[in-house]
Formats: sequence, C-alpha cells, structure tokens
Amino acid sequence: MAITKKPLVAMAAAAALAMSLAACGGSDDEPSSNSGNNAEGAKGGTAIFFNGPRFTEHWDPQRMYIGRDLNNAGRLVYRSLVAFPASNDPTEGTTPVPDLATDTGTTDDGGKTWSFTVRDDVKWEDGEAITCEDFKYGASRNFATDVIIGGPANYLFTYLDVPTGADGLPTYKGPYKKTGQADFDKAVTCDGQTITYHMKKAWPDFPQSMASLRYLDPYRADLDKGDASNFQIISNGPYKLEGKWTEGTGGTFVRNENWSEDTDTIRKALPDEWEFREGDEDEAIYEQLIADSDDAQYAVTERRMPPTFYDRIPEAEDRYTQVESPYVDYVLPNFNSPVFKDPACREALALATDKAAWIKAGGGDKAFKPAYSVVNPSVPGYTENPAFADIPDEGDQDAAKAKLAECSAPKPVKIKFTYSGGTPTSDKQAAALKEAWDAAGFETQLDPLADTYYAVIQKPDADFDVTWGGWGADWPSIGTVIPPLFDSRINLTGDSNGNDYGNYKGGPEVDKAIDEAYAETDLDAAAKKWAGVDAKLGEDVAYIPLEITIFNFLHGSKVTGYSNNVSTNGYADLAVIGVES
Amino acid sequence: MTLTASNLEPHGDEELTAPEGAVPSVAAGRSPMQLAVRRFRADKLSVIALAISAVFVLCAIAAPILVAAGVLDPYTFNQDLLADDGVKPLGALGGISWDHPLGLEPGTGRDLLSRLMLAMTWSLGIALTGTVITVIIGVALGIISGFSGGLADATVGRFIDLTLSFPQTMMLLALSAPAVYMIQNSISDAPGLGFLSDRDLASGLYVIIILAAFGWPPVARVLRGQVLSIREREFVEAAKLIGANKRRLYFKEVLPNVWAPILVYFTLLVPAYISAEAAFSFLGVGIKPPTPTLGNILADSVNYTTADPMFFFLPGIVLVLTVVFFNLVGDGARDALDPKTHR
Repeated sequence: MAITKKPLVAMAAAAALAMSLAACGGSDDEPSSNSGNNAEGAKGGTAIFFNGPRFTEHWDPQRMYIGRDLNNAGRLVYRSLVAFPASNDPTEGTTPVPDLATDTGTTDDGGKTWSFTVRDDVKWEDGEAITCEDFKYGASRNFATDVIIGGPANYLFTYLDVPTGADGLPTYKGPYKKTGQADFDKAVTCDGQTITYHMKKAWPDFPQSMASLRYLDPYRADLDKGDASNFQIISNGPYKLEGKWTEGTGGTFVRNENWSEDTDTIRKALPDEWEFREGDEDEAIYEQLIADSDDAQYAVTERRMPPTFYDRIPEAEDRYTQVESPYVDYVLPNFNSPVFKDPACREALALATDKAAWIKAGGGDKAFKPAYSVVNPSVPGYTENPAFADIPDEGDQDAAKAKLAECSAPKPVKIKFTYSGGTPTSDKQAAALKEAWDAAGFETQLDPLADTYYAVIQKPDADFDVTWGGWGADWPSIGTVIPPLFDSRINLTGDSNGNDYGNYKGGPEVDKAIDEAYAETDLDAAAKKWAGVDAKLGEDVAYIPLEITIFNFLHGSKVTGYSNNVSTNGYADLAVIGVES
Repeated sequence: MTLTASNLEPHGDEELTAPEGAVPSVAAGRSPMQLAVRRFRADKLSVIALAISAVFVLCAIAAPILVAAGVLDPYTFNQDLLADDGVKPLGALGGISWDHPLGLEPGTGRDLLSRLMLAMTWSLGIALTGTVITVIIGVALGIISGFSGGLADATVGRFIDLTLSFPQTMMLLALSAPAVYMIQNSISDAPGLGFLSDRDLASGLYVIIILAAFGWPPVARVLRGQVLSIREREFVEAAKLIGANKRRLYFKEVLPNVWAPILVYFTLLVPAYISAEAAFSFLGVGIKPPTPTLGNILADSVNYTTADPMFFFLPGIVLVLTVVFFNLVGDGARDALDPKTHR
C-alpha cells in the first residue's frame, strides 16, 4: 500500500484503528472521532475532497489498489455484493454487510464455493438493472493482465478455480482475448440472479476481500473500452461523475437518480455534490484548512498534515483528528545486491538502523510510532518480530560495527539507498538513516526518486542496495501482508519483483510455512504460524520495520458527521459526511 | 597607400580613446584598465560590494576545508536539541547558541551556519564555473562571427536564434533525470572523468552545462557587435596587410580590445547564475539533499514560515545578499569600464 507515496496496495484495514483522538484546543470532553461536528447532517450543499498531489491513477474498479481511492469509490459511486458499514468499531467496521446482494454470501463447504443473490431492485446510472452477468464480467476482467493493470488480481489467481498454465498464470486470459473462457465459465457461474464462485481451496475471508477491495465489483460489458476505461465511471452508487475526470484537476460527482436509498443501508449521501480537487500541494491544502477559509470550510482530505503545521493545530480546535493508521513503513535490503547477499551485512544494517531519528525527522511522535514488525498491531494475531524487538529504536551502532566486520563486502561498505523522495521531509528522513548507517561503518549514497520510484524498484536488476516500502493489510488478516510482500512465488517474475522490492526468496521452507499458515482456519493457531513466518523473515532480515504512520487530519468547519472510520482505513468516511448549507 | 612607421607599431590597449578625466598634461598616461580601476574605486558602493562579495567567495573556499577540519559540521544530526515533534529547535530564535550561531535546521538539528557555508561552496562553484564556460563560448563564437562575417556569421546568427527559442527551463526539468544518470554512469567511464560517478558532481555538471548551453547567446551577440566595429579599424587592416594569421588577429588584435564588455558580462552573469542555480535546486533539479545548496535549503525553508521563522528567513537573506552584492559589483564594473552607457 502505500499510503501516500505510491501504491501498491491498498490496504485496508485496520481492524483496530486505535483512534486516539486528540482534539486539541478547547474542551476536554472532545467528541470522539466518529462524531465530528454535528452527528447528523442535513441533505444538500457541495462537499469538497482534496485529492492533493498524489493523483488518482485509476477509477476502473478492477484496477484500483490505493486505500484512498478504494474508500472513496466505494462510498460514492461503486457498490459490490457486500460492503463494510460506516462504523468505527474494530469488529463491526470490518464485518461485511449486504450491499448489492441480499445477504453476506453463503457457503456450504467452509469457503470453497460462495453464492450470493443480487438484489433485483438495483440499477446502473443509465437505468439498466444490475445483473449477475455484470458481476461475472467484472470478475473476468481481473484475468486480462495485459490490459487491466494495477489491481489486486493476485487473490483471484490464488483462489479462483481456474487451472494454472505452464507459465504459472491462469489459463484464462480475460474477456478481451477470451482464451480459456470455458475454464472461467466453470469457476464463476450465474443462475438467474445468483452468482457462485468456485475456489480451488477454502477461502473464508472471501466476503471481506470483496468489501475491502473493488476487484469483484460488477462491470458493464457493453461499456468496457479496456484501458480507455481507466477513468470512466459507470456508477451504481448514490453519485455519478458529471462530465469527465481530468487527471491533475479532478472532477465533480452529482446525484445519481437511479440510485435509491431504499436499497442502500450504508451510504447516507448527504451532500448534493462532491467536488474532487486534485493537484494542490499539502502545504497549500493545509493553509486553507487551518484558516478555514471559503471553500475549505466544506472540505475533507486524505492528505496528512505536514509537520510544519503542528504548532498551529490549536487554531483548528475540534477540526483536528488524529488516527493511528493501518500502515507500516519499512526498509528492505536488496537480496540481489552484492553487499546484501551476505546475511551478516543485512544484520549489521538492521542493527544500525535508527528509527528514532527517522521518526523525529518526519514529525516526531505525532506523526509516527515505532514499528517492530511489518504487520500492523491492529491486525488480529499481531506479534512483535523477535528479530527486531530487542534492537533499541536508536539502533545499536556498536553492535552493528562488530557485525559489519563479519560482512564480506569491502570496507567501508558502500551502499545506495533508493527511496521515494523529493519532499524536504522525506529527504531529511533518509539523511537520518544515512547518518546512523554511516556511523556503523556503511558509506551510504542517497538516491531520491519521485514519480519513477516504483518503476525503478520493481526491477529485479535495479542497482539499489536498500529501498523503502509501506504497506497495510488489505483486510484484517496477516495473510494480506506477508504473502503479498514476501511470497516469491507470486511476486518474482523475470522483469518485475511485484511487491517484493527486496527480491527476497524464502525458498521451499518459507513457502511451505506460508501455505500452512494460510490453510489454518483457527485464528489463534494461524496467528502463531504467521508469527513463525514473520520471525523467519526477521532472521533473514527480509525487511527492517520503521514506523506506523499516524494520520493527522483537519476538516472544514461546515462539515458534518466527520468520522475517520475503521471501515475506511482511518480516512474520512464519505458515506456519512454532510455539509451545512 | 603608404604606411607610416607609426601604423606598424603594435596596437593594443592604447588604441582606446582617452576617457574623460585623463589629464593630458601627464605625459605618462594611464592605461584604460588603470582608468577603469580608478573609476571603480571612486564608487564607494561598488567597493563595499566587492569587499562583501570577496567575503562570500572566501567563505565558499573555506567551507570545505573547515568541514574537513571538523570546524563546520553540516551533516551531523542534533535531534536532542529539537522539540518532540522534531520541528522546532529548542531555545530562542531557531536554536541560536554559541555552538550553532545561526541555529539549527528543523527536523534534523543540523547546524545551519555549516550548511549555508557549504551551500555557498556548491552554489558559487556552479555559478562561477558556469559563467566561465558561458563567457568562453560566447566570446569565441562572437569573435568568429563578427570577424569572419559571411557564412560563419550567418550560421552563428541562426544558431543564436535557435538557442534563444528553446524553452530552457522545460528542457532542464525534463532532461534532468536521464542526463544526470548518463553523466554518472556512462560519461564517468571515460578516463580521468571517474569523479563524475559522484551524484553531486554529476548533477552539478548538468546544471553547469545547461546554464552555459543556454546562456552564451547574449554574450556572443554583444561581442559580435563590438568586433564588427573593431575589424574595420586601421590597426586591424594593417595587421591583415602585413599578413598576420587568424590566431594573431583574434588574440592580439581583437581580444585585447573587447575585455571591457567581457568583464562586464562576467560580473553580471555570476549573480544571475547564482539565482538560476537556486531556482533550479528549488524545482528539484541539480544537487540533492543532504548535500546543501542555497536552492535546496531555500526549498525546505519555505515550509517554516510560522513554525520556525528564523529558519525561514536566514537562507533567503543569504541568497538575496549574495545576489545583490555580486550584482552591485557587476554594475560598478560596467560603469567603470564602459562609462558612456547610461543606466
């Protein structure tokens, strides 16, 4: 996931976004975060969402994988069979409720076949009824890996009962090429309005995956233009896009008359319009929000407050919210680099890493808290990784020096740290790591990259030695963290390392442990198994955890019902937000 | 035409008309350069500006030496001197103390004085190198085009038009990543150029190349104009008649007579390039942090208007002072060397 920096995954979840609501200024009996100003807002008005400098890359439901976009699309324009209710309760907010389906899905065999019945009173924005075939078509698009790029297709590849070809990929190649269509038609079947998904193996989390991601949303075969549909929105939610989406500028969502609130228990759809503004820098957004000027009174954003605004938080009074996010940031040694092929060098790097300096350079304890595993503590079954639990937050440069003496690379050990940079804060954070690494005997070259970042680090032959990554669980399960990041079978191909930027290859032992943990249905037993896999990753120094991002947000004074719900990963929940007129 | 002996005597500096102020009764006379220096020294403001600019240059030269000696420390973090959120330095005025006379950088606690001095080294280094190359290219093409005329003149003229019509800032931004990559990874393989594999030097060289590649046309145009008038003068005719080769004509006859505009251009380009380098750094092209330049420190400081006003103002003030004083020197030089121009 990557939260803001780039994507990868979205992440979702967070079961327990511990919301430490800190509203400063003012009264002690602050309202809790899920009741912003006035709990219940009236209909009408225009609300504004600042998309900021990180443009929305896809509005195609099968291609979205960034937390912000998944949330917003799911609250405004796209519905799926099930969805998370607007709730800040860690359990309720991550338990699917029926949305376009009549129930939350039925399975008779522990999760190998799942059936849902589509409501017969729901329509697309043009008035056409939503049919079972639309859902089937939506699912099929995930397999067109040459066209539908960027989405979480790996889950269907892993689970859906479509045979795997000699190339390790499914034999079905999507609705455009239609190769292997018969295989897919067997895996997903429609009987009237009842759709049935047949899995290779039990997948009890299936409804959760559907509610957190948008990859199983219905899609209209007659309106599908492939890659040209990337920014096309065919709505079945309470709003529809007015005109076109313009990258870098944004777009406006207006009411969709073919949506009926009788069919929707989740979305309140209070404002008449949602205006999405894209392209402003964070500083510009927060200057407006803190001053609560003009339009910003009606605005919410997913951008985090830059640290330079922290001392002005009291000005914002109760418009300030603080939420612990479900993401973890970490650095990865590159297993393909000549230096970090050697385990001793990797261990030295882990010992030398000064996460305290990284945190302080990035805004201190208001912005981050130290992490001791790549798994966020809000994910059920979280355990600290024993490999990192005992290293002080400042690192142990003396121990690192000793370890580095065993490292086979020529001294001083020259390394290149490639990170997602270009902002003063990220450059300072990188410099903080460099100082500590250099103190231990490394000689670090910093290599900040901006928009080319993921393109570079996803190349298995890239020449960096260390890189940065950020991830949050797709839904509250460790199975959406460790395998997407470190299972070399699904990540490593000839020209891409997927989300495994460090090119980590666990080998048969780790692969087997992952499969066993996946297969374990008892939550506690599964947690133990995942902890075992994580401990092995720590032993190999597949990653070095840095911190858990804490969201600091402001919203406008005329916004009602503001909540940073668990169901929207700690971001503003657009399902319940309204504006005063 | 008969040549008189006097026409065969070398013509150099004396050829310039005696400027006003020269006293005819003093038999020894002064060279135009002496006269210019005299005029320059009479202008108090220019002298002060020159002195201050010299201090800046000294700082720039001294900074890397002081860093090596451990007196300045632009890289070490002092986060214990910052507030908990890592933004504000503790203490008054952005953490000013005896150890850190200009305070600390927010977020890292690095010493601001050290960073600004080292920034001066990089920024002035780039500006001066860029200016030298610009002037060399401009002078060479200006003399060739003005003196030769004909095809050479037309070619250089069109080349100037072409260069001026390029959107240089766009080019600079668009090409920066691939060009720096190429300098760092391919060009540095050439013998003797191994130092270019350093990212900072490669980025610096890229900025210098862009500054020079787009900065020379005005220099060439002015030089061409000067040369056009000089080439018709008798001493040049004479040199041609006695069979002087091109080299002698360019270097002995023409060049000594165009020092004044060259010097004026040089002094005015330096401040222009200092601010250009800062602007490029600000836009994210050029040398990247943690190596400091005036531009990249400035780019950071603009975020601290209210959080740490001291850090917001200081880099800006240093940049403004540098540019202003170098500019004053340039203006003074122009007044002294070319007294006929009216501003």
